[in-house]
Amino acid sequence: MPSEERSLTIIVNGVPATIERNAHAPLKSVIEKALDETGNVGQPIENWEIRDGSGQILDMSKKISEFDFPDHVKLFLTLKAGNGG
Amino acid sequence: MAGDMSQESTSDGDLQAAALSEPLIDGATGECAIAAGCTSATELGTEVLVDPVVSRAKFDRELADYATISKDQRRLGWWILSAEFPEVFVVFAAPQLRPSPVLFGARIDFTNYDLWPPSVRIVNPFTGTPYRYRELSPTLTFMRRIPTSAPVQVPGLGVMEGYAEQPLLIAHGPDEIPFFCIPGVREYHNHPAHTGDSWFLHRQLGEGKLFFLLEKLYRYGVEPLKAYQFGLQIAGFIRPESPL
Repeated sequence: MPSEERSLTIIVNGVPATIERNAHAPLKSVIEKALDETGNVGQPIENWEIRDGSGQILDMSKKISEFDFPDHVKLFLTLKAGNGG
Repeated sequence: MAGDMSQESTSDGDLQAAALSEPLIDGATGECAIAAGCTSATELGTEVLVDPVVSRAKFDRELADYATISKDQRRLGWWILSAEFPEVFVVFAAPQLRPSPVLFGARIDFTNYDLWPPSVRIVNPFTGTPYRYRELSPTLTFMRRIPTSAPVQVPGLGVMEGYAEQPLLIAHGPDEIPFFCIPGVREYHNHPAHTGDSWFLHRQLGEGKLFFLLEKLYRYGVEPLKAYQFGLQIAGFIRPESPL
């Protein structure tokens, strides 16, 4: 398991996953790993959105270094609601 | 419960078969039960289609997953007040407002989970009684913004993508108990308008999980509230003594 300083904790639909952080990789790459690690493989990545602790939606295509995440950061990967209403 | 979990792998196939051979009576009983004031499937005497040991194990797993992040979620105003199979009673507050109000409660019923998706009812946070549609606060709109099919021409700004507000808390009359109308919610899948969108198309995809449901209630019910809105109302006139 990666050390906390070099990792990102991603809460995938309520289940935490700790993924190694590569500052030069896009956030999307970490998301794919987190989905795979938590067994959430049935939905395309477009059906997910990632937010920081304050609820701000993050751009998956940006590099991780662009976000300047602090250590021990937690990100929340949530499934978009399907068509309803 | 670890021992019980072992039954899941063999039970899932059986659950599918049971779903095909047994009618989902909740759709039939839901409406009349609501009128009678009953709210959970257990109270209704709902037919048990899944070995309660299996449903309970899955219920426990949902809670165990949630326990790992409950501290973070509590800060957002998600307060699980009780969780006893088959029901989770949760209350939502709005910490982004000052003073911070308690907005609403929800009762999430995992009876026959996950052959059935959980049932979600919006309830009075103090009594646990489901709100009828007419009793809901106007602030509890649970609206979602969806793109409209045709772009909109805005003078001076050109063609812009249009959006419409779609309510997610649905009732067909003021005395009905509204339901949260998204995939992953039992009332959605049992509604005649959604017979083409079976729960079994969603069951393994993350919808219907406890976190998913709580997050959606928060997303559409709590997070959009940014500030209080005050209004002035004329209550009468100030006047001195009445004339003789």
